[in-house]
Amino acid sequence: MDEVVISGLTKNFGDLVAVDHMELNIPGGTIFGLLGPNGAGKSTTTRLLSTLLRPTDGTAVVCEFDIIEDPVRVREITGVLPEEGNHTVYPSLTAYENLVYFGKLYSVPEEELPERIEELLTFMGLWDRKDDKAGELSTGNRQRLALCRAMLHRPRVLLLDEPTSALDPIAAKRVRDLILNLSRQYGQTFFINSHNLPEVQRVCNRIAIIDEGKILLEGNTQELREKLLAKQEFRIRIVGDIEKASSIAKSMDFVQEVKEEVDSIIVTIEDPTTNNSALMQSLLFAGIKIVEFAEEEATLEDLYLDVVKEGDV
Amino acid sequence: MALNKSMIVARTDLSMAMKVSYVKYGLIFTAAIGPIMAIGTVGLLVFTAANATDLLVIMQMVSPLMSPMLGLVAIIPASLIAANALVGEREQNTLEPLLCTPLTDRELLTGKVLSSFIPSIVLLLGSIVITEIATIAMFLIAGYPPMLFPDITGLVLLLTAGPLVILAMNSVMILISGRVSRVYEAYQVSGASVMIFMIPMLLPLVSLDSGGAIDPAAIWFSDIITILIASVLFIVTWALAFSKFNRDRMVSLV
Ligand SMILES: Nc1ncnc2c1ncn2[C@@H]1O[C@H](COP(=O)(O)OP(=O)(O)O)[C@@H](O)[C@H]1O
Ligand SMILES: [Mg+2]
Repeated sequence: MDEVVISGLTKNFGDLVAVDHMELNIPGGTIFGLLGPNGAGKSTTTRLLSTLLRPTDGTAVVCEFDIIEDPVRVREITGVLPEEGNHTVYPSLTAYENLVYFGKLYSVPEEELPERIEELLTFMGLWDRKDDKAGELSTGNRQRLALCRAMLHRPRVLLLDEPTSALDPIAAKRVRDLILNLSRQYGQTFFINSHNLPEVQRVCNRIAIIDEGKILLEGNTQELREKLLAKQEFRIRIVGDIEKASSIAKSMDFVQEVKEEVDSIIVTIEDPTTNNSALMQSLLFAGIKIVEFAEEEATLEDLYLDVVKEGDV
Repeated sequence: MALNKSMIVARTDLSMAMKVSYVKYGLIFTAAIGPIMAIGTVGLLVFTAANATDLLVIMQMVSPLMSPMLGLVAIIPASLIAANALVGEREQNTLEPLLCTPLTDRELLTGKVLSSFIPSIVLLLGSIVITEIATIAMFLIAGYPPMLFPDITGLVLLLTAGPLVILAMNSVMILISGRVSRVYEAYQVSGASVMIFMIPMLLPLVSLDSGGAIDPAAIWFSDIITILIASVLFIVTWALAFSKFNRDRMVSLV
């Protein structure tokens, strides 16, 4: 069952097309990562899904409720963490009061509210700050509080816009653990915006890359990674003239691509089992000392950079 | 439409507004200034009047002039809180999370209206009651038969046009909330609106003739005109505020 179905979703701001005929299907229980550079249209997508903005064209259905026809129902079943700067909690209310206020607005049963608040604040490491004014909390703590607020009513779909952007590495890990926990425990669907690839790679089981409002690539994280492994890239770390090494590599007809780094060249080799040793010999013969010759670990970053670059052309 | 949802918004807004010192002291100050001026004026008249007949004549002249002031006093805090209601949410970046809650437009707007309507009405009624009690007490102390101040015409005006103007004020704030992004700008607009609303509140003045004598029928007439103007203002601004409310525009405004 697809919990979020986006069809032809488009949002224009004047002449600017922020989201451009987006098509996406996200099955229930997925931790979905929408990945893209700044200005790609991620936050606009989240704002459309959370019914804050009205699409210029197309629509989306969240848990069977249409964002245009049934906005109130959509808001009931989604929890939203607005993007940084907009996730501000009420500064003059305490952390606890902030959650009580939203718990009531989301109709969390009154008798369950204190228990849930305690559970979430404790998990986020904020329980001992519960009586502090939210305005006096650090940016990271405010973001954690905003996350508690998004999860308070146990929404079926969580829309998180850059959830760890203001967090230190430990807090970011806690949030990732929380997401994984919730997903395991309640099967909630997560729609996470991020420009931070390692982050997305760690939690999301499905990824789409967006640029200029368009989805450039979409797939299961595992599939995408396998696609990359087929690339046959090798890192050759050397002592000596990088440019010389690079030109030698380029001159070999089985070398498809050469990238230069400070102390290494990265080469894409056709049929590496047969050809690697030939390349190695030519380099050694030219007096270049090879410190390391290793299969380049494939990361989604390469794919991301590739795809976004192509999109720019 | 669940009124309790609106009440949750109103109560929280109000408690937050009271934590802002200039709103709190602004409220106390404006709340005090109306009754102080009214009671001071009456006191002066009561204790300097030559006899009961003179006092009655003077009071009949002063009453229609002074009564609307108590109404104005209640509008100023309403405009302060109302300006904060939606524009303030945007300014402190809490608008998006609030708009993400299941509140319907109507519940949200009603909540925002109530958050300034409730304190304004409390102030209005409070200042009327205090002024009436003080007036009666001063008349008794000075040995005159007690009188109402504001008198019946003033009371009718305050209790009808007063709430209507306060509600219209709120609607204007909702209307501009999708167009201005800073509370400061909202205050400017609200300041201008207060001036507009002073006109109907002070309309009874036209019933003064050149000799300073006042025709009671003219007072009633100007009261009715004022109430009509307030009703039209209320209906028009309210209808506009609700029909023009647009989440997309509020969120898109940078
Ligand atoms: N309210 C708005 N008015 C005009 N342009 C906007 C507005 N919101 C976003 N944009 C533009 O739309 C594009 C996508 O923005 P956004 O969705 O915030 O990107 P991201 O979250 O991926 O960084 C950007 O070019 C941005 O400048
Ligand atoms: Mg963004």
